[in-house]
Amino acid sequence: MTTSPIPDLDPTSRRRGAARELWRGVSGRLARSLARLHQTWRRSLQVRVVTITLVTSSLLVGGFAYLIADKITSILLDNAKTDVQLRLLNGAEYAAKQFSLYSQPQEAQLQETIDGTVNYLAGGDPQQNSGVVVALTADNWPGVIEARTSPSANVRPLISPELRAAVADGNVANQIRTGRLTGDAEAKYLVYGSPVPTRFGQVELYYFVPLTLQDTTAAQARATVVATGVALVLLLGLLAALVTRLVVIPVRVAARTAQRLSAGLLDQRMAVNGEDDLALLAASFNQMATNLQRQILRLEEMSRLQRRFTSDVSHELRTPLTTVRMAADLIFAERDEFDPAVARSAELLQAELDRFEELLTDLLEISRFDAGFAVLDAEPTDLVPVVHRVADRLAGLAERVGVAIELDVPTAPVIAEIDPRRVERVLRNLVGNAVEHGEGRPVRITLGMDETAVALTVRDHGVGLKPGEEKLVFNRFWRADPSRARQTGGTGLGLSISLEDARLHGGWLEAWGAPGQGAQFRLTLPARAGDRLTTSPLRLVPADATLPFGGAPAGGLLAIGPGPAGALAVGPAPDAVPPAEQPRAEVGS
Amino acid sequence: MRRRLLTGVLAGVLVLGVAAGCGIPDRSEVQIEQRGPAAETNWSLGRGTEPPTREASGSDAEAFVRNFLAAAAGEPDRAYERVKRFIATADRNGLPDKQGSEVALSVVRLTDDPVIEPDVDSMKVTISVQQVGLLRANGMLVPPVATESTYEFRLISAGPVGEDDAGYYVSDPPNVLLLSDDALRRYYQAEAIYFWNSDRTQLVPDQRYLSSAVPPQRRVSEVVRWLTAGPSDWLRIGVSGLPDRTEMINNATGSDGRWEVNLDMPGADERRLEQLGTQLAWSLRELHGTVEVKILNQSRKVIDLAEQRRLNPLDLIEVNARRYCVYEGAIHSLTVAGEAAGSVPVAPEVNHDIVSAGLRRVDADVLVAVVMAGEDGRQRLAVGRSGGVVETLTTGPSRYAEMSRPVWIRSDGARPTGLVVADGRLYRFDDQAATRQVQLSLPGRVTAVAPALDGHRLALIVDGTLHVAAINWEGGVPTVGPARRLVSSLTDATAVDWSAANRLLVAGSAGRPAIYDVTVDGALETPLREDTGSQVDHLAAYPATAERSPLAGSFMYEANGVAYRSNPFDRINRDQVQDVTPPPAGVRPGNPTAPVFLY
Repeated sequence: MTTSPIPDLDPTSRRRGAARELWRGVSGRLARSLARLHQTWRRSLQVRVVTITLVTSSLLVGGFAYLIADKITSILLDNAKTDVQLRLLNGAEYAAKQFSLYSQPQEAQLQETIDGTVNYLAGGDPQQNSGVVVALTADNWPGVIEARTSPSANVRPLISPELRAAVADGNVANQIRTGRLTGDAEAKYLVYGSPVPTRFGQVELYYFVPLTLQDTTAAQARATVVATGVALVLLLGLLAALVTRLVVIPVRVAARTAQRLSAGLLDQRMAVNGEDDLALLAASFNQMATNLQRQILRLEEMSRLQRRFTSDVSHELRTPLTTVRMAADLIFAERDEFDPAVARSAELLQAELDRFEELLTDLLEISRFDAGFAVLDAEPTDLVPVVHRVADRLAGLAERVGVAIELDVPTAPVIAEIDPRRVERVLRNLVGNAVEHGEGRPVRITLGMDETAVALTVRDHGVGLKPGEEKLVFNRFWRADPSRARQTGGTGLGLSISLEDARLHGGWLEAWGAPGQGAQFRLTLPARAGDRLTTSPLRLVPADATLPFGGAPAGGLLAIGPGPAGALAVGPAPDAVPPAEQPRAEVGS
Repeated sequence: MRRRLLTGVLAGVLVLGVAAGCGIPDRSEVQIEQRGPAAETNWSLGRGTEPPTREASGSDAEAFVRNFLAAAAGEPDRAYERVKRFIATADRNGLPDKQGSEVALSVVRLTDDPVIEPDVDSMKVTISVQQVGLLRANGMLVPPVATESTYEFRLISAGPVGEDDAGYYVSDPPNVLLLSDDALRRYYQAEAIYFWNSDRTQLVPDQRYLSSAVPPQRRVSEVVRWLTAGPSDWLRIGVSGLPDRTEMINNATGSDGRWEVNLDMPGADERRLEQLGTQLAWSLRELHGTVEVKILNQSRKVIDLAEQRRLNPLDLIEVNARRYCVYEGAIHSLTVAGEAAGSVPVAPEVNHDIVSAGLRRVDADVLVAVVMAGEDGRQRLAVGRSGGVVETLTTGPSRYAEMSRPVWIRSDGARPTGLVVADGRLYRFDDQAATRQVQLSLPGRVTAVAPALDGHRLALIVDGTLHVAAINWEGGVPTVGPARRLVSSLTDATAVDWSAANRLLVAGSAGRPAIYDVTVDGALETPLREDTGSQVDHLAAYPATAERSPLAGSFMYEANGVAYRSNPFDRINRDQVQDVTPPPAGVRPGNPTAPVFLY
């Protein structure tokens, strides 16, 4: 498209530009209405059915109406023609007899006979011959024989040269012409011509029969046929609309009810009227809803009981545990005095008690989340110190396993309304996991922000995640290799709690991983508590990841969508879609 | 909303499609259906004779004048055009054109040869004429209006000076169309057409002139037009035309003996149509075949002309006419040239003192009217009727100094009536011989009377001039209508009789006593006997009719007391008189007089 901004003073080009603008406006409006139409077409079953009915019946009825009207017209016309032809041939015979008395066109009484013949053939009184005009012309004898018409009218314009030639050639011929003869208004005339043989040559007899009556009759018939056709089409459309409505309304009600059901309003039911198929549908639907409601309530109850059980068990365990702990602490403090084997047991006991305590804590935390007691304690917090703190705190562990923790943190403070305790816990969890699975390769923590959100990514280069594991990692007690013993202090609930923390903030916690390429976790939080997230300042898929299709084009965007077998499919974005509308592999929301 | 829009669009498309697809188009292609009727080739192309053109006479001035006087003959519509071809261009405007039925030709009889005198650069022509009548466009010859007895005009040469072959032009032409009687005879045919009498019991002939230029196929049209136009004026008193407002629609058409006449005829019932058929059959006497009469396009009657004529004979006339004469005061039969002799219808007892006799057959009877000479020299009428021989004659009460031969009029069932001229007045008489004077519309001394065979027309000689008049039979009594004077070249007419339906025999003087055959309108004259020696006192003819009779057209006359007959002209001798005793020797035998036909 030319967007040359060269200032051009040529009025034509300006006009062209204006026209283009106009065209653009019109086409835009047209495209919009077309799109709306298309949308309506796609959405409304009723519109589709009615439209198809209307189009089909219109075609059918129109075809029949055409045939009928055409037939009526041709019958009328044929009748008129037969009638006039008979009159014409009789007239020509009569005229031939009359003129057979004359052997020269100059004979004086011939003109008189022509007048008389024309008047006779016209039937005398012009009022009573319904506008029929009879004319006798003698094209072979101009100036000698005057053409006569009765009633007097100028018929020349109505005799076309072709008709005249045909009649002069000795044929009986006819033609329909429009013109004005006797009346004030133009009328259609059936012009019929026949040669009249005489002893001195040929003269021509013409009948001009007005087709007003036939025209009116044909128009009336046509109007009747059209009115009937239109009424029929409308009736069919109405019928189709009614029938569709009968079917569509219960379906719509069912759809709405289903929507409400899915929204959690489990006591929504459809009204059952009558005993027909739709009533059966409604009844079945209601039955299904009732069953679902019962199941869901049962499951909810079970889940509640389970959570309660967990919580209760955790609480109940804590009291004896405290006692056991105190005893164990005592034993641990005195271990040097024991037999080394006992001392080793005391150490083991201490370690397992730590884990047990940790597990109980996590379980209690989880059950708080489950019970909905978790409360966000948000305050504006600079995330940079939080990151540093977590890194420092895990530096020992990292050093032990030989993993370097790299930080990519802006120098400026990254302030967001967050619960620092929870965010730190999430970050600690992520970095701990990364260090744990880092396989000696560095772990990189990146902090990013924009106007609406802050994001943290934690990247490791461990074994990575198999396709589909991005979601599983957040499941409680999930492990990648169940046969692998838990060596480090994970409880199996860390990521679940982290996910709940992210949700509590209204943020996202997402994972990416590929076998052999490590994994990256991203935490995105709204800059202001309660805001809705739309984008993340950081990318989920790391830039150094090798993608199955060869990677994203330079500066291009990636599309991540559902792949086969529940896997994530990552590929180049099909178009320059704004990031907000980019399909996203969301984990939580 | 959108659905309604869609519906509207669909309905619109439907309406437009149907409306545009199948109305009567404003204009269609020319559709040729069949060959039109072609001209038939078997039409007779006969065409009548036309008068000669201007160039025909060459340098013969006399012939040119003759042709000029014939130029108007032909179809009346173009008469002016034909005459104007004879007239010099500069003078053509001097002859004002008339159109249609106003065209009338002045028929003149040249009383002398045209006088052609050379002048400075032209020739002066003087023609002396007798105005015979006015020939109207409808073929009727009416009494003349003009009174000129001479016309003068000039002839100028049509070519350069000295070249006479180019012919002439008429300069200073008369301001009327002249037609000589010679041209009338040559370029017209006198046609008899028939009208019904007032009682519609009898056909009465009338006369029209049909131009020879009219092709034969138009004859029927012309005749029907004449019939619808009604009878001649002088006949109107005794004759009725077709119903008022009767008109022919266009022309009568047909060929090969099948004709078709379309009429607009108010009150046309079966009887009227039958009568019209008879009228047509006799008016188209030489036509055979059929005429289909349509009334306002509805075929009403098909007339077989010959059959119609056969069923409705025109004049019931005795074919075997007999001649009689008065010989020595008695009626005697005459035989001429071997004709059979008839029996004398009067018994010998009363067959005496007879001066003249009128005999007529009515059905099986014979009517006899005789003029008897009384002892006092006065004459009176006696009448008798009998199926065989009249035994007694009823003598009338009145006596007259002089009576003409009595004649019977055909009266068709009414009381027999006759006419007789006595003492210069016309009287009618009945079967009781009572005479009553018949009022005439013109003063003058009546010298002769002759009724036509149809009984509705009279020929009269009043003051030596020939007249014709119609008879009205209302109430069974003959009334004579206005008389029409016939212009004749004969003067001092003395005797008249009908020689045919439309022809008269007139005896008069054309310098010398002569007998002429004249048409009933006086236009055409044929001298039959140029010189009868002396004045004809008495004339009796046997009229020529449709019935074939050996005597048809024969006549007998008496001049100077001597009877003559025609065919050939010969004197009737005493030995031709039957049943006479030869006179005693030495006595000069008398002459048969007052010859008469009994038919």
